[in-house]
Amino acid sequence: MSNSLIANARVTGLGFVDRLVRDYSALVVCLIGLFLVVFIVGMATAPNFLTIFNFKTIIRDAALVGIMAIGLTFVTLSGNFFLLSMKETAALCIICFATSMSSGYGFEISFLLTMGVAIIAGAAQGALIGLGGNPIVVTLGAAGLLFGLGSWWSDNLVVSFRRPHGAEWLGTGSFLGLPNITIAFILIAISAECVLRYTNFGRQVYLIGANRAAGKATGHENFSMAIKVCIIASICSAFVAIAFSAQVSSAHVNYFSSEFGSSGDMTIMVIATVMVGGNSIMGGFGSTLRTSLGAIFISTVDNMMVLHGFNSGPRVLAVGLMIVFSIIVFALVRRGSRAQE
Amino acid sequence: MILKLSGINRSFGAIQALKKADFEIGESEVMGLVGENGAGKSTLVKIIGGFDDGYSGEYTFDGEPVRFSNPSRAEKAGIAIAQQELSLIPAMSVAENIFLVGDTVPFFATKKSLALKAKPYLEEVGLDKVDPSISVNRLSIGEQQLVEVASLLAHDPRVLILDEPTAALGESDSVRILEMVERLATNGKSVIYVSHRLDEIFKICHRITVLRDGISQEPRKVSEFNVHSLVESMLGRELQNMFPERMKLTRSEPLLEVCGLWSDATVEPFNFQVYPGEILGLAGQLGSGSGDILSAIGGASGTREGKIKYKGREFLPKSPKEAIKASIAYCSNDRKLDGLFLGRPIKENLTSPALGRISTYGLLNQGSEERLAFGNAEKFTVDVTRMGTEAGLLSGGNQQKVALGKWLSIEPNIILVNEPTRGVDVGARAEIYGKLREFANEGKAVIFASTDIQEITGLSDRIITFYRGMQIGEIELKDISATKVLEQITHPFGVQQEVKTA
Repeated sequence: MSNSLIANARVTGLGFVDRLVRDYSALVVCLIGLFLVVFIVGMATAPNFLTIFNFKTIIRDAALVGIMAIGLTFVTLSGNFFLLSMKETAALCIICFATSMSSGYGFEISFLLTMGVAIIAGAAQGALIGLGGNPIVVTLGAAGLLFGLGSWWSDNLVVSFRRPHGAEWLGTGSFLGLPNITIAFILIAISAECVLRYTNFGRQVYLIGANRAAGKATGHENFSMAIKVCIIASICSAFVAIAFSAQVSSAHVNYFSSEFGSSGDMTIMVIATVMVGGNSIMGGFGSTLRTSLGAIFISTVDNMMVLHGFNSGPRVLAVGLMIVFSIIVFALVRRGSRAQE
Repeated sequence: MILKLSGINRSFGAIQALKKADFEIGESEVMGLVGENGAGKSTLVKIIGGFDDGYSGEYTFDGEPVRFSNPSRAEKAGIAIAQQELSLIPAMSVAENIFLVGDTVPFFATKKSLALKAKPYLEEVGLDKVDPSISVNRLSIGEQQLVEVASLLAHDPRVLILDEPTAALGESDSVRILEMVERLATNGKSVIYVSHRLDEIFKICHRITVLRDGISQEPRKVSEFNVHSLVESMLGRELQNMFPERMKLTRSEPLLEVCGLWSDATVEPFNFQVYPGEILGLAGQLGSGSGDILSAIGGASGTREGKIKYKGREFLPKSPKEAIKASIAYCSNDRKLDGLFLGRPIKENLTSPALGRISTYGLLNQGSEERLAFGNAEKFTVDVTRMGTEAGLLSGGNQQKVALGKWLSIEPNIILVNEPTRGVDVGARAEIYGKLREFANEGKAVIFASTDIQEITGLSDRIITFYRGMQIGEIELKDISATKVLEQITHPFGVQQEVKTA
């Protein structure tokens, strides 16, 4: 019996290349290939591309979108699709933080207050999704609600607070030559990956994402999961809001809607990052590491286009192309893996 | 003979589904086609209906040799097949559904003219009281089934195949189907009637063809059969070493008592006990409620009322999570739906219900995960060299072993299994039976529900029978026989007498 089993394993066991293809990793291979192409083109054509200063810029640009995307990755991996309220959560949080700072509460209190708001917003959306609400509808509704609250609270005005303030270390400070926000991005990326790989909770994220019904049957319910992942995504949004506000010493509800990042709209950029990283939209497959690499990739392409003097139109187009590309590769690879079954 | 097949061979890979099978049906005859699951009935039906032309052998229709390469050709020739799954469009009207496909669609029609055209077909199936212009979703499932047949009649077929038309129906709807078949036969149609319900076969069929392991038996008149002889010719194979030996049981306190547990899917509340060391078989056909009661005990489906008595407590698990906490494992009948994480590695599947056991303070312990997963895999002879591969890449038998084996990780006291070997080959079957027996021998208990008579009779220490949402009887080990079980799950209220008088 055991002999035949081993023989069977040899017949059906896959080689390294086959396994790469089967594990959707072709997407990663393609992205890395594309990344190299972009890199070489950048090196050859833009004289300032290959400088340490420029690399720091790339990662720094990737940081804010990347942190939010890491939070959203938990939602996507757990099979709860996307939160369309990422930028509105950030908008309410930035108003909350700046108002608190300008009223003279210190950084610590303002930080905790803002996180509290984010947790409530995340938990409420998570509970509705966990009860069976469609994630798109729920978070689209929540987006309006959160944005409206932020706008009302700030009278749609810029809220500013005076320098020097207690948050400057996060906004503009640096450590060993690296901006603190970059360090925060790296730390968050590493710890998120560890949580997914090595904790009970991380395993549940993958299991429920892979098959919600089987998750329920084995005692892992999506209700509490949806609440937890939405809180994680909201906390990441709030963190980005605080870091950004600390940088510019002010806040406005529209900070994340326009004049931010390459394409203006933060929610779309964040979703693009999750997808370009090669995470399964249906859940159960992917990692925050992929998301982080996706963020750096998008930022590299964007950086190169800036160096070549493209304005925002073509840069938005490039992000769109990257999303379409990743969807197509993903679908093709997926079909390939089905054929092998 | 209007339709005749002789020496039909059909194989799928290494499995030969039909071995020199013969089949025939005469004008205005009702021919029953019976056999166990996997005996080759559906393969034969597919060949007749033109869904499958990968066979060898002769097929003559109306005296002419034919070979249908697709269903629409068979339909043109005059062979119509009513599938188990309805193909109606619920939001459209009855008349529109009848003239939905093929050359029966009129070029121009108003709602009124369509309704008028539909009337005769509805009358033929016994739906003369139904307004053809109402939408199909307002009809009962049985009536929809009849509309489906009416839409086939619009093509004016000479041979009609009904594949388990009453499998999903209650008593009153089933009666209408049977009446329709009789009416069709008197109107000159030939009907091939496939069913597991032997009482129906006896009621309406003229002759019966029995298929066993892909081999057909000479069709014989219904009057030459009785229930016993029909069951015997359906089963009739030695299976001594398929099932593990039973241990001698001494009953003491029951391990679990089901007290008036009324599942949403059944007609009445159920009561039974299971004792330590016992394998209890719940026998019943599709829709009998035997599987629903298991998922109710396991907290996986809704219940109206009732409790279980277990470990000195009276309660009812509200979710699988609570059942798992109480060391009750429920393995569903659909492993693709909620039994496996197909895209995740085998290892993660095997430890999925027991994350608490392999983690400390929320951190997964790789070492104890490996130990737990490998231990379970070895017990169920799942190939341990492939622990990292996705569960979806395994064969059906191995998938079932993983789906079942994962429950050992919670060290359950009771395993509830709905259809332990659906879609599983013979070798893996014997292994699964062996493991369930081993588990019971440790003083724990297994309750399983199955529609497979061999499995029920071969594995159970005691059998409880179910029929259409009702609990019928209990069969002790010394009285277990396939005939007795089949009688209780197909016609518990003495249909045999009716058959005799008819």
